Order: sequence, then structure tokens, then C-alpha cells
Amino acid sequence: MRGLSVKRLFYGLGLAILNVAVIWCAIYLWGVQSYGLLALLLLGALALNALFIFPGGYPYRYLAPAAVFMILLVIYPIVYTVYVALTNYGTGNILTKEQVIQQFENRYVLDPDAGNYTFRVYENAHSDRIFLFTAPDGRLLLGRSGELEDVTGRDEADVIPPGYSELERRDVIRLSTELSALTFEYEEEYQLRMRSASAFALYIKQYSYDAGRDELVDLISGVVYKPVNGAFEAPDGTRLTPGFRIVVGLRNFQRLFGNPQITGPFVRVFLWTITWALLSVGTTFAVGLFLALLLNDPHLRFRRLYRSLLILPYAVPAFISALIWQGLYHTEFGVINRALEFLFDTRVPWLQDPFYAKVALVILNLWLGFPYMMIVCLGALQSINSEMYEAALVDGATTWQQFRYVTLPLLMVSVAPLLVSSFSFNFNNFSVIYLLTRGRPPIPGAQTPAGHTDILISYTYRLAFESGRGVDYGLASAVTLIIFLITGTITFINFRFTGALEDVRENV
Amino acid sequence: MKRLSGLVVVLTVLLAASSALASVPGELLIWVDSERFPVMQEVGAQFEEEYGIPVRVQEMPFGDIRDNLGVVAPTGEGPDIIIGAHDWLGQLVTDGLLMEIDIADESLFLESALDAFTWEGKRYAIPYAIEAIGLFYNKALVGETPPDSFEELITIGEKLKEQGKYALVMPQPDPYHTYPFFSALGGYVFAEDEDGVLDPLNVGLANEGAVKGFKLFERLLDEGIMARATAYDTMMSLFQNGDAAFMITGPWAFGDVRSAGVDYGFTRVPSIEGQYGRPFVGAQGFMLSAFTENEVLANIFLNEFIATKDTMLAIYEQDPRPTAFLPAAEIINEDPDMRGVTEAAEYGVPMPAIPAMNAVWTAWSDALELVINGQSTPEEAIKDAVEQIVATIKESM
Repeated sequence: MRGLSVKRLFYGLGLAILNVAVIWCAIYLWGVQSYGLLALLLLGALALNALFIFPGGYPYRYLAPAAVFMILLVIYPIVYTVYVALTNYGTGNILTKEQVIQQFENRYVLDPDAGNYTFRVYENAHSDRIFLFTAPDGRLLLGRSGELEDVTGRDEADVIPPGYSELERRDVIRLSTELSALTFEYEEEYQLRMRSASAFALYIKQYSYDAGRDELVDLISGVVYKPVNGAFEAPDGTRLTPGFRIVVGLRNFQRLFGNPQITGPFVRVFLWTITWALLSVGTTFAVGLFLALLLNDPHLRFRRLYRSLLILPYAVPAFISALIWQGLYHTEFGVINRALEFLFDTRVPWLQDPFYAKVALVILNLWLGFPYMMIVCLGALQSINSEMYEAALVDGATTWQQFRYVTLPLLMVSVAPLLVSSFSFNFNNFSVIYLLTRGRPPIPGAQTPAGHTDILISYTYRLAFESGRGVDYGLASAVTLIIFLITGTITFINFRFTGALEDVRENV
Repeated sequence: MKRLSGLVVVLTVLLAASSALASVPGELLIWVDSERFPVMQEVGAQFEEEYGIPVRVQEMPFGDIRDNLGVVAPTGEGPDIIIGAHDWLGQLVTDGLLMEIDIADESLFLESALDAFTWEGKRYAIPYAIEAIGLFYNKALVGETPPDSFEELITIGEKLKEQGKYALVMPQPDPYHTYPFFSALGGYVFAEDEDGVLDPLNVGLANEGAVKGFKLFERLLDEGIMARATAYDTMMSLFQNGDAAFMITGPWAFGDVRSAGVDYGFTRVPSIEGQYGRPFVGAQGFMLSAFTENEVLANIFLNEFIATKDTMLAIYEQDPRPTAFLPAAEIINEDPDMRGVTEAAEYGVPMPAIPAMNAVWTAWSDALELVINGQSTPEEAIKDAVEQIVATIKESM
């Protein structure tokens, strides 16, 4: 009974800490008016509390952390990507409409001919402040609670009430953010606003937003701007920057499919992506398996040493390896070509020729990827019961037959799912492509930026970040969703396929 | 592994949340890169001591500043002041992330640096440094006097070839470094109207002059005067080892060249048919976030504490770059390297800062690569590239 209460106390304490954290976050979210997230947070916290308070929730306690991370790291990004794909989010359209309106409303134009109004500030014990301005034409103006009074010719002591003392420059700078919030109306259209530590100046408010008509009026020129497609637009088509984020529906997808500029290279890029993923998995698996079989041989000496050495390429960050390989492949100065030149008197245009660039990529990926496959295979080989081999030996099977009919099928049971995920990974293996070739070599006469070695994801990157408009998150998210559909489908089919393989165990 | 990476993500989020600092009224938050960080911390501490205004300086990689601003500033968590490059301007201004700066005394700054930070007639930064590419030459190989024209450079190159050396190396394919070839005889990226506004649909990289320069580039490769397909590192090691006599690149290379012990000089890129190529001029400066709560305070800080000789010299000493601040130029330009870059920049044009440049770099770089690989002629390659650029820009308009 006592043990139980300690345990409950422990749970209670944990829940209390969690709830404090949740409340803290909730206050913050309330403060930044992020009500959607707030609701999500509170619901989640409520559910977690319920799991621990009601005994019925016991089994779900173990599921809860996984669910939380699943929502945070998988579901939320997907939902957000879908949302972005439906918007015009990108260069020029990253702010919300409210933020843009606020920015325009706070835009003041300095009247350059009006000159500076030097000032002195006086403050009393209640932090009430009085300004004394000297206009460029020599007039003396008294500024108090937003009102200006011409006090030219009067004495300072006469104008400033008792109890006020002048602020030093030091304090003016210290208080400049507060002081700059104080503005004075001047001849209707102007505002006297703080410009620097020593001067105010005349500004004109440029824009005014009419919420009822949803219009932005330029107070200086009188032009009326209306929101069109994510920016305020004048009748003559002039668009104001910044624009704002709006939901554009399926427009990004229409751009994608309705534009030969973009769809043109899609099929070619898609075919190379599939080829690339298959070759990557095939080569790394073949080499990894081969090395694993060698290392699994008990007659081999220094196995541990070899194993450690062979894992090294996996331990070196791919970024570094890729850059080194880029140097090795260099046509004129690279070690590979120098060796080829010495031995066979020939040079291979590794990164310039479309075919060899692809070969170079596969080799690099082989270097980066085989240790993983080797480790996986080593583990799987250990789990194969040695009795199987004894039985095979008794039946008179050759080494090849042992491998073909015992090792490989049993290995596949545990390795096949990994091959599928490896396929998906390489399907989207942006870093290797980008680091070695950046999708190059380019295609002569091409109307689109896609190169010979671009895979879908690197092509997406080009569309998103090398577009004519700057950065185009909306379009990129749309392509990402399409890639997601493709990889999702392929993975699903693959898993069905490998699921059938599991029956092998029963057959053996 | 999955669990570990999940943990890492959570920890990062927590760390980010706890260090999330925001623009607060009456306080200054400044984002700078590591090179400028110590100086800004010192200036910030002085300012804080003198005026009692807390100044917080946050360090992050230079390139991250732009991207982070776009993500963080709209949520109200951003800084007041950032450090950045002028070619960010187009994107940041069209995104609505920057505020105009009221520069108290423009005569203190190099005009080209101010121009680089001007967007549609408004100033957006207090510039502190400029950069432009030029010609490095190895005095041990070619003597004290650098060639004034490419004709001279080719003559020198013929002799070097007999010794198994290259005359020239430069990063390839790299449009930025290759621009002097295009601009010497009248090529340009975007046409400019009289107000300095660029027309993204008028691309002048395939005009007669540009093609002529591009052909010279091809000739240098074909005749073995210039090494082919050298990435930056390869280029640098060729020059450092004395295997190449000339190198076209910018002030960021001084450190590497010096540390290799090369006796070098720096001058502008040689002329083509008597015309000097105009390199892109870049500038770095302090910009004001549109989401600052301290517009006036930040302006005072920048005008009175950053735009001073002491601060500018301190910035220079931390990371020597040619200055954009004239009162400090006299001292800084005693260094022949800095003088060389400043002179090279005088012939330059600001690198276009409009977002459409993203589309230009890719296609242009592809054109260079096709010519370097011998897979296309200069005329063809650049004509296709310009068509692609215009089509891409039109598509996104």
C-alpha cells in the first residue's frame, strides 16, 4: 500500500510539472493570439492527464509519447505542407494581411524641405514631458500633450512651468523609444515626429486603410488600392510591396501541370529518380552483403579490425565525403583521372558527361551506403540458425546453393523492409545529388533549369529557390506533396510485395 | 536512433524557445555573424553603460540571418538590427521585413556602397564594407607590373605554357566571377531605367558585347591559358603552389594567398579591346528590421555609434575588408590590398539585388558550364540561358 502511494506521489508530481509547463505555454500562446495551437495544446494536456488519472487509460500511457511525437514530427509537418501548397507563400508574400496593413498605416514620409526642428525636453516628477522646439525659421514652439503652441519671443523660464527640469542628452537617448511615441499635429496634414537624438521633423502619413471597403488609400496621391491576388493593387495595375499571404486554392498545382516549362522535364527527371533509387539500393546491398559474408566467415583473421575499417565511410559525414569525391572526380586534377591517365592513357569526363556524372553519383553513393547494408546483413546473418547449414551440407548442397536457398531467403525476411525504406530514402536523397553535381551537367538548349542528374527532390529545390520570383514555398510544397504521393505509393506496393516474402519462413 | 533524433529535436526547440529574444521597446537586439560579434558586443556594452539601454547581441552564421529574419520577425520575435549583404535587399524589402534608414550624414559613406543598399530610391543600410573581384598576380612568376589587357595576359600565358603552368585561374562555372568578361563590351544583367529601377525582362547577357567577351573566355580555355573547370579550392591551390600566375577572385582570398607565402599583387581585371570589365560590387551593412519597436533608438545607435571611425576600424581589424566608411578609409587604404579592392570597385556596378536574380544565376551558370565542358558554343549557350531566364521570370510574374 505504501509503495503504491509513493508511486502515485511520483506520478502526481510528474503530472503537476507537466501541467505547469502546459499552463506556461498556454499563457504564451494566448498572448500571441495563437488560438489554434492553444486549443491543440489544452486538448493534448487534458488527454494526457486523463490517461494517468483514470485506470482505464493505463495501456495507452505507453502509446502516448509515440503519439505525441508522431503528431509533432510527422502529422503536423504534413498538414502544414498541404496548407502551404494551397497558398502563395513565398518571396513578397510572407506576411499576413493584417501585418501588411499595419506596416502601411505606420508609413510616414519625411518632408525633406521642411528641415529639422531641434528640441529640448523638460520633465517633472510625474514624468510629464514638455517639448520646446526651435523651428528651422527660428520660431519657438511649445509641445505639450500632442498640442503645439507658438511661443516665439518668450523666455524659457516664462514658458516652462515650475517643477520641470530639462532632460540631458543622455536621458533623451535612453528614453528615445518612449519620446518617439509622442507626436504633434502640425497644420493638419503634417505630424511632428522624433527623427534623431537632437531633432524632430515634419512627416506626412502616407496610407490609410478603410476596413469597411477593404481599401488602402494613398493620402498623398489619392490613389485607391484594392487587395488583388495577395497585394494591394491600384487601378492602373501598380502593386504595392510587401504583398501578403492568401489561400490561392489549387493554383500552384495548376501552374505545375499547366505549364510546359515545368512539366517538360518531369517525366525525364522521374525516370532518372527511379533508376537512381534502384541502382543505389542494388549496388549498396550487393557490396554490403558480399562484405558481410566475408566478415561472417569465422576463418577470417582480424575480423574486428576489418569491420571497424569498413564502417568508416559511414562514420564520416556525407557532406565531407561528397566534397572530397568532388575533388577526386575532377577531370584534369582529380586523382581518379590521373591514375586512369597513367594506366590507360585516358580521361573520363566524370562530372561533365551526362552518363559518367550518373556513374559518379552511383559510385559515391555506394561508398556512402555500403557500410549500412553491411551492418544490417551482418546482424541478419548472425540470426540464421547454423543447423540450417548443417542440414544443407548433409543434403550435399554446394556453397552457391547454400547461399541461394538458405542464406538469401532467410536474410531477406529481415532485410527486405530495410531495402524498401532505403529505396524511399534514396528516392529523396537530396544531399548526395546536390553536393556532388547540383543536378548538373545542364542540358543544352533546355528551357527549364533541370539538369541531367536532377532527381525530383533537387528539381523541387530548384523550382522553390531558383525561381524567377525569389523563393516560392507554395509551388515547392505542391511538388513535395506530389513526391510524397509517389513515394508513398511505391513504398506501399513494396511493403505489400515484401509482406508476401515473409511466408518464405514457413516454406523453408 | 529515432528516439534519439526526436529528443534532439525537442531539445533544440526548447533551447530555441528559451533563447528566443525579441525586439522590446527600450532595448536593442542585434543579429550579427561571428566576425562582427566581438566588436558589436563591445560597442553594445559601451552604449549600455552610457545610456542604460540594454543591448543584446546575438551571433549566428551570416547566411542564416536573412532566412531567420523571414521566419522570426513576423512572429514578433525578431531583432531590431541585423547585419547583411546588399543583395538580400530585394527579397527582404519585397517581403516587408526591412525599414528605411534615416542616414544622418551620407557624405561619410562611399557612394557605391550607399547605392548598393538603395531600393526604389530608399536607403536601407549603414554600409561598413564593400567588395569586388580583381586580378591577383604572382610577382615571382610575372614581375611587378600586371598586364593591363587580356592581349598582354595571353602573351605572358604563351610563355608560361611552355613551363607547364597556367596563366589564369578562376572559379568555374561561376557567373559572379565571370561577369567582367560579359560587361567589358556592353553586356549587362538587367537594363536599368533612369531611376535605377531594373527591368527583369530586359536581360543583356547575350548581346553582341557580352558574346564577344564570352568568346574570349572560351578562347582562354581552348588555348590552355586558363585552367578548365576549376572549383574554388582547386583554383586556390593552383595559385598557391605557383602553378598559375593570375587568379580572378575577391578580397576573401587574401588570407589564403598570404598564408601560402605567395608574393602577390592585386589589381583590376584586364581590359578587353581597351574596355575594362565592370565587376559586381557587393556591400555589407547594418539594416533595420521592419518589426523593430525602437525605430528612433536604432537609428540613433546606428548613426552615432556604428558610423564612427572607432567602430569601423574595429570592424576592419576583426575581419579586414575594404571599408565603405570614408573617415576610416584613409587608414585602411594604406594597406595595398584594400586600396586595390577599393579601386576595382570603382569600376564596378552593384550586383542586382532583385529577387529575379535567383533565376539568373542558375541559367547563367549552366551556360558557362556547357561552354567549359565544350558541349556548346558561347553564342548558343548564352542565348538559351537568356531565353530560359526570361521564361522563368515571366512564369512567376
